[in-house]
Amino acid sequence: MKIVALAFALLFMSLWSTTLSAQPTGLELGNKSPEIKLSTTKGDTIPLSALKGKMVLIDFWGTWCAPCVEEQSELARLYKKYKLASFTNGKGFEIYGVALEAKKLNWENFIAKNKITWIQVSDLKFWRSPVAKAYNIRELPFNVLIDGKGVILAKNLHGKDLEKEIGKYLRK
Amino acid sequence: MKTKILTFLLFAFTTSLFVTNPFSAQAQNDPWTPQQLLAPADLAKVLNNPKAPQPIVYSIGMQAIVKGSVDIGPTMRAENLNTLKDKLSKLPKSSQIVVYCGCCPFSRCPNVRPAMALLKSMQFTNYKLLNLPQNVKVDWIDKGYPMSE
Repeated sequence: MKIVALAFALLFMSLWSTTLSAQPTGLELGNKSPEIKLSTTKGDTIPLSALKGKMVLIDFWGTWCAPCVEEQSELARLYKKYKLASFTNGKGFEIYGVALEAKKLNWENFIAKNKITWIQVSDLKFWRSPVAKAYNIRELPFNVLIDGKGVILAKNLHGKDLEKEIGKYLRK
Repeated sequence: MKTKILTFLLFAFTTSLFVTNPFSAQAQNDPWTPQQLLAPADLAKVLNNPKAPQPIVYSIGMQAIVKGSVDIGPTMRAENLNTLKDKLSKLPKSSQIVVYCGCCPFSRCPNVRPAMALLKSMQFTNYKLLNLPQNVKVDWIDKGYPMSE
């Protein structure tokens, strides 16, 4: 009898730990964000999962999108301020810029002109990008804030709301 | 007194037109009429029917996504608008023409107005703007309408 009880306890614990470690992949808060594997302007592939351990803002944008362009200076400020910060759920802050771009030259020129230093990737497929489908993007700008485990903390926050959300997780 | 009330009511009514219906105010400045907006479903139906007379479809935005469309490039840039002008100058004024961008809603799109104004100024008589109120992803790709290879 004791053996049966022990077996049940072990089974329960194993199921419980599986539930804890594997958040479902999806787009809801608390889900693990879908993987993105796109190339930089130099052709190097940087997967989103390579940023594990850091707080990451996935910024979907395009050089043709006026509000996205306007937002870049604010992102530069946030990046400078929080890049080396420690968070309760990650160490350091990174921005993973996903450009829904069609022409490489426009994208490259914008990055150079605006001295963007955070990660920039694109498949140059504009609105046909599979990533736009995977993240169910309906308009730009759009962003997703994830923690060090890739879990979605917030979606589509901008300006003061975005900084407030990042600030919530700062290690005091 | 009656005149004052009538004046006030007239003022309130006119103001409400602009406050509650920004689209009608917007439409007054746009170089197209509501009749010139072509529903995506209607264009898709024509493109899917090879026996139907096919319009000439110009992409005047970032990428030619609609099947068979000619990539002009964003017509907010003078060189692309000139390319469109060159192509149009070789066509009869009665040609069936459709233009689209689809980067973003019309209110924010920098490309649709120069292209539609050009068609108007060149006195074409049968041209339409593909009605993509949100963008080409939501209003064309997500609906499964025919796309270029």
